Amino acid sequence: MENVWTIENVWNAIGMALQNWLAGFLPAWLVTLIMDLLVIVVLLAIGIVAVLILSFLERKVAARAGDRYGPNRWGPYGVLQPFADAIKMLIKEDIVPHVADRFSFNLAPVIVTVGAVMTYAVLPFGRNMVAANLNIGILYFAAVGSLSIIGLLTAGWGSRNKYALISAFRSVAQLITYEVPLALCIICVVMLAGSLSTQDIVLAQQERGWFFLLMPGIFILYFLAASAEMIRCPFDLLEADSEIVAGHFIEYSGMKFALFFLAEYIHLFAGSAMMVTLFFGGWLGPWLPSWLWFLIKTFVVIFVFMWIRNTFPRIRIDQVLKIGWKVMVPAGLVGLAITGFVDKLIADTLIAGVVLFVCNIALIVGVSYFMGRAQRQKEMAAEGAALR
Amino acid sequence: MSVQIPPTERLRTDTIQINMGPHHPSTHGVFRMVLTLDGETVVDLEPRFGYLHRGIEKTAEERTYVQNVPFTDRLDYICGITNNWAYALALEKLAGIEVPERAEYIRVILGELTRVMNHMLAIGFLWNDLGATTFTPVVYAFRERERILDLIEMAAGSRMMPSYIRAGGVVADLPEEFMPRLQKLVPHLKRFIDEMDTMLTKNEIFRARAVGVGVLKAKDAINAGVSGPVLRASGVPYDIRKVDSYSIYDRFDFEVPVHTAGDVYARYLQRLAEARQSLRIIEQAMRDIPEGPVTSLPYKQLSRLKPPKGEAYGRIESPKGELGFYLVSDGSNKPYRFRIRSTSLLNLTLLREMCIGHKVADVVTILGSIDITLGDVDR
Amino acid sequence: MYGTGLLKGLSVTLRHMIGTFVTDVRKFPRRYFRDGVHPTRSPEPYLHGAFSIQYPEEKVPMWPRFRGPLVHLRDPETGQPRCTACGMCERACPHGCIKVEGEGKGKERKPTLYQYNVGRCIFCRQCVESCPFNAIELSRFYELACYDKDTIWDLPRLLELGDKEEIKEQGQFWGET
Ligand code: SF4
Ligand code: SF4
Repeated sequence: MENVWTIENVWNAIGMALQNWLAGFLPAWLVTLIMDLLVIVVLLAIGIVAVLILSFLERKVAARAGDRYGPNRWGPYGVLQPFADAIKMLIKEDIVPHVADRFSFNLAPVIVTVGAVMTYAVLPFGRNMVAANLNIGILYFAAVGSLSIIGLLTAGWGSRNKYALISAFRSVAQLITYEVPLALCIICVVMLAGSLSTQDIVLAQQERGWFFLLMPGIFILYFLAASAEMIRCPFDLLEADSEIVAGHFIEYSGMKFALFFLAEYIHLFAGSAMMVTLFFGGWLGPWLPSWLWFLIKTFVVIFVFMWIRNTFPRIRIDQVLKIGWKVMVPAGLVGLAITGFVDKLIADTLIAGVVLFVCNIALIVGVSYFMGRAQRQKEMAAEGAALR
Repeated sequence: MSVQIPPTERLRTDTIQINMGPHHPSTHGVFRMVLTLDGETVVDLEPRFGYLHRGIEKTAEERTYVQNVPFTDRLDYICGITNNWAYALALEKLAGIEVPERAEYIRVILGELTRVMNHMLAIGFLWNDLGATTFTPVVYAFRERERILDLIEMAAGSRMMPSYIRAGGVVADLPEEFMPRLQKLVPHLKRFIDEMDTMLTKNEIFRARAVGVGVLKAKDAINAGVSGPVLRASGVPYDIRKVDSYSIYDRFDFEVPVHTAGDVYARYLQRLAEARQSLRIIEQAMRDIPEGPVTSLPYKQLSRLKPPKGEAYGRIESPKGELGFYLVSDGSNKPYRFRIRSTSLLNLTLLREMCIGHKVADVVTILGSIDITLGDVDR
Repeated sequence: MYGTGLLKGLSVTLRHMIGTFVTDVRKFPRRYFRDGVHPTRSPEPYLHGAFSIQYPEEKVPMWPRFRGPLVHLRDPETGQPRCTACGMCERACPHGCIKVEGEGKGKERKPTLYQYNVGRCIFCRQCVESCPFNAIELSRFYELACYDKDTIWDLPRLLELGDKEEIKEQGQFWGET
C-alpha cells in the first residue's frame, strides 16, 4: 500500500512507516506481533492521557459552575494537577481490610479497568483509524462495556462493607435495567446504517445525515441509558457519596482506588466517543482532519455530561428502575417499531428522514406528557397530606 | 408503624443493620443513625446523638450573665445572631431591662438576614443530600451567605460568633458603611432567591425525589413540639413573630407562609417563601430605622448585673423554629439555672416516624430537610 | 412540559460558567486582583462571576472591628505598657485564658507576668471591654496557624503585635459600648 503523508492520515502513515522499517530486518510474523502490541500500548496510552485530561476538566467545570476557579496551584492554571494526583495515589498506602475477601478484593479493580480499556478497540478515532474494525463492533462494545459492572459487583462483595454491598446490589439492578434500552437504541441505529461495524455506521451518516437529527427521541433514550451505563449523574447511584459514601470503592485506597478512578473516566471517554459515533457522525466534518473532528465532538459530549453532573441531583434507586422498565423500555420498543417500519416502507432517504424525525418528536412529546401527568397526580395527592 | 416483611417459603431474606454516622458525609455533623434495612427500604431507624455535647447549660451556671453571651453563639453556629437575641430577651425579661428603639431595629435587620442565610444554606445542603455531587447549589448559597456574614462581621467583628446582641440592646452602633451596603444587598438577595427558584423548584428530578417523601402529619408535629419551617410546612400557621409578638415585629407588614403537604418539597418551598418575607421585613426596617442610642446597659453595668430572684422564659422565632432560654436567678450575678429549649433537637425527634418505609436515600434527604445543626442538638 | 425544569437548571449553571470567564477577561492579563480591590468586598454585589479569593496572593483586609488576638497598647508618652495589672480582664474572660500578676501600688503598679493563651481565646472582646485603663484591644491579625504549640503569648509579644498592627487606642471603631 502506498504511504501518504497528510495531516488527515498522519497517524496511519507513522504506523505504516514503522511497519515498513521493521519488515526490512524482521520476519513477517514478528512484525505483525510487534505492530499489534504497539496498537495496544497506544490505546492504553490514549486511555490514560484521556483520564488525566478528563479528571482535570471535571474539576475545572465543577469549579466554574460554582463560581470558583478550581485547581490552579500546580503548573500554569493548574494543568499539572492530575500528575500530582497520580503521584499521590501511587505512593499512598494500600490498605486491605482484615475481613475482606482478598482474592475478589484484589481482582475487582483489574476487571473493572480491563473491561473499560477493551472498549477502545472498536472506537473509530478517524477515517481508517480503528484498532479492530470488527464487523460486529457495536455488539462487542455493548458486551465489553458491561463487563466492568461484574468488577463492581466483585468489589462490593469482596470488601465486606455494608455500603459496598448495597452498591453492588444497585450495580446489578441498574445494569440489567439499562442494558435493555441501550441495546434497543443501538438496534435502531444499526437498522438505519445496515451494519454493526462502527466504521460503516459513520459512513452511513455521511449519506443520511447525522442520526441525532433523524432520531432525537432515540438519542435522548440512548443518552439516559448511556449515563446509567457510565454511572454518570443523575444515575450515579453506585457511588452516591451522600447516601452510601462512594459505594463499591469505599474500602479501596492507593493504586487500587486509582484503577477504579481510571476505569470510570475511561468509561466516560469511551461512552461519549461511542455516542459521537452513533449519533453525531463520528469523525465526519469539513476542513479539519477527521481524528480532530472526532476528538472535538467527543469532548463536547463529555462537557455536556459534566455540565449535567454539576446541575442535577441523583435519582433514587426505585425511580431508576421504574424509569428504566416502565418508560425507557416501552419507549425504546416503540422507537424500534417506528424506525423499522419507516426504514422498510419508505425508500427515499430524505422523506424517510423527515418522517422519522416527526415520529421521534411525537415520541418525546408523548413520553413527556405521560410522565408529567403522573407527576402532577402525585403532587396533587401530596397537597394537604399533612392535615389529613 | 412498621413495615411487614412478607414471609415467603422459598426465598428467605434478612434485614441488615447499618451505622450511618457519626462520620458520614450527610449527617450534618457528628450524628449517628442505626438503620435497619430490608434491601433498600428502611424498616427501623434509631437516632443517636450526643457526640457534640459540650455541657453548655452546666458551664453557663458557673459564669456571669454577660460571660454567657459568647456561649450562646456556639449553640446553632449557623445563626449566631438569633441565639444571642433569644438569650438577651430572656435576660431582659428577668431583669426588666428596656431596649432602645434603634437597637430593636438593628436586631430585626440582623435577625432577618440570618434567617435568609440559614434558609438558603438549608436549601443548598438539602440539594447536597439529594446528590448534587459537586455542591453547585451549596456553593451559590455559600456565596450569598458570605456576603451576609460580611455585613455581620462589619457590625460585630466576627462572622459566625458575633456575640453582638446583649441584654439592653446591641454591643455597638452599626458602622457607617453598613446601611449603603445593605441597601445594595437586599435587591441582590431578591435576585438570588429568584435564581435559586428557577434553578431548583421546577426540577423534575428534585420533585420526583421530594414530593410525598417524609410526610409529617400536623398533629404529630404539634404533639412532638416541632416548630419553625418544618411545622409550618405541615400546615400549622404558628410563627412566634405573630402569635407571641416580641421585639417590634408587630410594626411590620409580613405574612406567614404555610404549605400543607408536609413533605420534603413543602419544606423547601416553605423556606424559599420565608426568605422572601424576611427580605420584606428588612426593607421596612431599613426605611423606618431611627437614630438614637443602641444600648441601655453598657458593658460595665451589664457585667455587674444581679437580676432579682425569679425566673423568665424568653423565646424567639429563630430560623429553625422556637428557640427559648429559661433562666432562673437566685439574686447573684450568675444564673442558677440556664436551660436551652433548642430547636433542632425537638425537630429531630420525629425522624424515625418520617423515615420508616422510605429508601436509604430518603433518610438522608429527610434529615437534610429538617435542617438541624448538631451544635444545637447536643449543646 | 416534563423536562423544562431540568433545562432551566442547566441554563442557570451555564450562565454561571460563562460568568466566571467574564471575570477572567476583566482582570486580564493578571491572574489575581490587586490588594484591596477584590470584588467580593465591593459594595456592588454581583450574581455571576467568580467569587474565590485566591488566598496567599489576594488578601482581603479585615473590617476595622474584626476581632483577632489580643494586643497590648503603649502609653503614647513613655512607650511603656498601659496595663496596671489590675486583673479585671482576667476576671472578665469567660474562658480563663488570661493570667496577670503585678507588683507595686496605685499608678505605679506594673505587670510582672501577663500570659495570654491564644489557643483558648474565643475572641469575644470582653477582656477589652472590662479593662478600665484602655490597655488592651483586639487586633486584625488573623494568620494564626503555626507549627508548634506556642500558644501562650507574653507581654512583650503582645506589645510587639500591637505595634505591628498599629493599634493606638481602645475601641476606636466601636463607639461607646
Ligand atoms: S489589661 Fe487592663 S484589665 Fe487587664 S490587667 Fe491590665 S489594666 Fe487591668
Ligand atoms: S477575647 Fe474573650 S476569650 Fe479572649 S482573652 Fe479576651 S475575654 Fe478571654
